[in-house]
Amino acid sequence: MSVVLILRKQEFKIEGTITVKEALKRLNLSPESHLVVRNGELLNENDVLRDGDVVKIVPSISGGGR
Amino acid sequence: MTSNVSMKCMKCNERAVIRMRQHRLALCKDHYIEWFVQQTQRFIEKYHMFTRDEKVLVAVSGGKDSLALWDVLWQLGYHAEGLYINLGIDEGLHYSNESERLAREFAEQRGLVLHVINVEQAHGETVPEIARRTRRGRDKPCAVCGLIKRHDMNQAALELGFNVLATAHNLDDEVAFLFGNVFHWNLEQMRRQAPILPESPGFARKVKPFCRFSERETAAYSLVRGIAYIEDECPFAEGSKQLLYKDLLNRLEEVEPGAKLRFYLGFIEARDSGQLVLPREEEVPLELHPCPRCGQPTTSPGLCAYCRLFERESLEASETQRPSG
Ligand code: SF4
Ligand SMILES: [Zn+2]
Ligand SMILES: [Zn+2]
Repeated sequence: MSVVLILRKQEFKIEGTITVKEALKRLNLSPESHLVVRNGELLNENDVLRDGDVVKIVPSISGGGR
Repeated sequence: MTSNVSMKCMKCNERAVIRMRQHRLALCKDHYIEWFVQQTQRFIEKYHMFTRDEKVLVAVSGGKDSLALWDVLWQLGYHAEGLYINLGIDEGLHYSNESERLAREFAEQRGLVLHVINVEQAHGETVPEIARRTRRGRDKPCAVCGLIKRHDMNQAALELGFNVLATAHNLDDEVAFLFGNVFHWNLEQMRRQAPILPESPGFARKVKPFCRFSERETAAYSLVRGIAYIEDECPFAEGSKQLLYKDLLNRLEEVEPGAKLRFYLGFIEARDSGQLVLPREEEVPLELHPCPRCGQPTTSPGLCAYCRLFERESLEASETQRPSG
């Protein structure tokens, strides 16, 4: 078992227990530009992800012309 | 057992859903919603954006920011109606139709009025098609798209009797735009960047109530409010400069919390107090006259830039002579 993180259509797996902040760091994603949601609940950066968790990473920045 | 006891709401001690380092604040879901709504009201008052007696037209794209803005104005009890412009962007994602569906659904759930403009129905062509046909947008439709959106929003506001047009530009949008303008020394553009642009003959007042919220904050609001928004990006946004700047600036924000807000507010303050002097507008005020076709004020001698997009007969000739822009 591991923590599964889904960003757009991509899946990432991380082994073991890890905080949201650490998980984003490992994936080289800025915590300023990404939010993490578990079962519809927004998580803060100190919340802990455990084996079996499936979380969604929501990119918070979007681009395009103004 | 829940694992998340570590970060608590500073108001009630429940689990925090967000920490905002730049404000030294962590809040639970309910207190975050309350804070976000109150802050919006504060910004509306601080910049004298509009009052409760005025009707506000909110430009909604179906994305998280604009639906959040409409939701907040609705909660605050403002008379806010929505305007959705279907640009006809598909690219295999049904991007426009899907975002229209979400905007309609949002309005229906709250009993709000949504006005819809469909570019293809109005002009017989989608935005990417118009762009491909004109010199302004051979590579990317964004310039044409921006021109059409600005024109149609203003036109709709005037025709529907709104003198206030609200867009959901957030701090990251504003800071990325400012950064790009400083980086390229585009001083002209820096003169007009502001939380509010007053109305003038033929132009509605433009306001940006979210200009001090980071995009992370607006996204968090939409998530905790359970707003269904379009998650896909416009396919043409990929690789845009704006995204690159936002990413860079967020890397900076990580090591220097509050950097974006200080950069933005520092600029507005320095300019408006006269410490930062930008080149003044032409001494002779540009002669504005109504476009013979659509009636909107324009500086160009004949049709406005928008109407020229649809001048098919003279297109070939004009394209070779007239510089775009
Ligand atoms: S990314 Fe470009 S084409 Fe897409 S909506 Fe924004 S301005 Fe229009
Ligand atoms: Zn609380
Ligand atoms: Zn015109």
